[in-house]
Amino acid sequence: MSTERNLWSHRLRSDFRAALAVVAVLAAVPLFASSPYTLGILVVSMYFALIALGWNLLAGFTGQFSLAPAAFAMLGAYTTGLLAYHLKAPLAIGIPAAIAATALLGFLLGRIVLRLKGPYLALTTLSFAEIARNVVYNSYNFTRGDQGLNVPSLMESRVGYYYLFLAVLAATLGMLYRLMRGKAGRFWLAIRDDETGAESRGIPVVRYKTFAFALSCAICGLAGSLYGTFSQLVSPELGLLLQTGLVIAMVVIGGMGTLTGPLVGALLVYLASEWLREFGGIQLIVFSAAVIVVARFFRAGLWGLAVRR
Amino acid sequence: MLALDLFVNGLIFGLFYALMAVGLAMIFGVLKVVNFAHGEFYMVGAYTYVLCAMKLGVSPWLALPMAAMAGAVLGALVERLLMRPLYAGYGSWSIMKDEYAVVVTFGLSLLLVNLVDKIVGPYPFRGPALMETSRFAVGPIMLNGQKLIAAGLSLALLVGLALFIKRSLWGRQIQAVAQNRLGASLAGIDATRVTALIFAISGLLAALAGALLAPLINPSPDVGAFPAIKSYVIVVLGGMGSIWGAMIAALLLGVLESFFAVYVSYDYRDAFGLIILVAVLIFRPQGLVGERAREV
Repeated sequence: MSTERNLWSHRLRSDFRAALAVVAVLAAVPLFASSPYTLGILVVSMYFALIALGWNLLAGFTGQFSLAPAAFAMLGAYTTGLLAYHLKAPLAIGIPAAIAATALLGFLLGRIVLRLKGPYLALTTLSFAEIARNVVYNSYNFTRGDQGLNVPSLMESRVGYYYLFLAVLAATLGMLYRLMRGKAGRFWLAIRDDETGAESRGIPVVRYKTFAFALSCAICGLAGSLYGTFSQLVSPELGLLLQTGLVIAMVVIGGMGTLTGPLVGALLVYLASEWLREFGGIQLIVFSAAVIVVARFFRAGLWGLAVRR
Repeated sequence: MLALDLFVNGLIFGLFYALMAVGLAMIFGVLKVVNFAHGEFYMVGAYTYVLCAMKLGVSPWLALPMAAMAGAVLGALVERLLMRPLYAGYGSWSIMKDEYAVVVTFGLSLLLVNLVDKIVGPYPFRGPALMETSRFAVGPIMLNGQKLIAAGLSLALLVGLALFIKRSLWGRQIQAVAQNRLGASLAGIDATRVTALIFAISGLLAALAGALLAPLINPSPDVGAFPAIKSYVIVVLGGMGSIWGAMIAALLLGVLESFFAVYVSYDYRDAFGLIILVAVLIFRPQGLVGERAREV
């Protein structure tokens, strides 16, 4: 009985159910606390949760340790922002365009770094992220540099935005669950655990690695694009390496290679950081210390500790 | 004669880059991981120098070795507390040791930046110069005293390091561990002590680079980010893990950047090195110097 419960598909299912429970709790929040401030904080933490899920697909499930998730959020936000600013394109075009553009860029980056592993992959994706931010920052005539771009808003209502982010989050979770349960998920895990072995068993490693890259980057791009319309301003700061550091902290603290881990990690880290702000800006000190301790002593993260049998 | 001025100033910056990058290359050579907190060794050196000289009133010439000590201690601590599991074996992290190293060093970098930001303050400091001199010109080359002294000291340190690695017993042990960790331990070399030594040296050099540049750069808590990124470029360019490669690549990058900033684009001068990094990793992953020269 216990072996059956320990099967990957069973663990994945209980993982998914726990994630859905978190989403359900989030759905009930506006009934009790509807102040724009609370909802705003939760929207930002859901933005981080989306990026964390996207990065976790790449780093936690496929074993491709990218350092560019924040850069892709920035690129998604700028795709929507530039289309609206220069071409007056409506958001109905701008947001899908952000998904398509970041998926394409992620596909290309995935092809480029195909043969790179470990530290080489981390350095290349880090360089890509910094080059992208540098270009956005310096192309003043096109992107208005660090002044940022004004982006039209999708809707006036905060509650509306809250449920939009929640719906996107739930849809992303559902899609990841479907993929992880099926062939793609098995292939990704095989690639993560032993790439050469996976190749030798006939798994199309190249195709599935680039697929993971494109999908992960598209999730980050969508998150960035939605966040841009929410804050109505996009700036190169979205792509700072610090933001990537935050995302990594969230996933590692929550638990890498799970669905609930990144979600809980993002909510916990962001909400705690809002709370710690009152104690004089020590939030980043606390998180960086926490991520070191978790990585050093509790590799499975908080969610991993919670479900340990 | 702008070109000559650019060349000499590029070489001087190359020397500073080399001081940073050599430590990173040694860590990679021995542990095969990238230390993402390397820029913070530099930052700690710059701050130790400035605070000792300004708050404690220590002479700058004494503050310099104090900064070096701080860097060495920090490096040794990082190795003892965070890097041991990489080779002492640690549960399932042994499968994903690259990821572990990225996460902890990235986290450490954030931690140190924000600790300094909180304790000392986010404002840039101006460090006292080792010697008060104004700018002067040698032919067409514009120089100032601090830069010249710093460059001279860097050169002496780099030559000293090269001799240390090549000639001394400890240096040979470092070479042996870099070539084959298991083989070296079988031959009776204490690989753990060598790794600690590597981290102490690399912390010392990066901290010294920070202290030497403190009067020129006005350190703030995030001052380590740029030199760290330059060192990544250099280490990749020189062939990951090669000390000689890193020294040559550092001088090359210093000169190339100085020309690029003037003749091509000032705004994109920082992106330039990163483009080199990506290009080298894709087309020539063994670096410019190549595998054969990888002695450490």
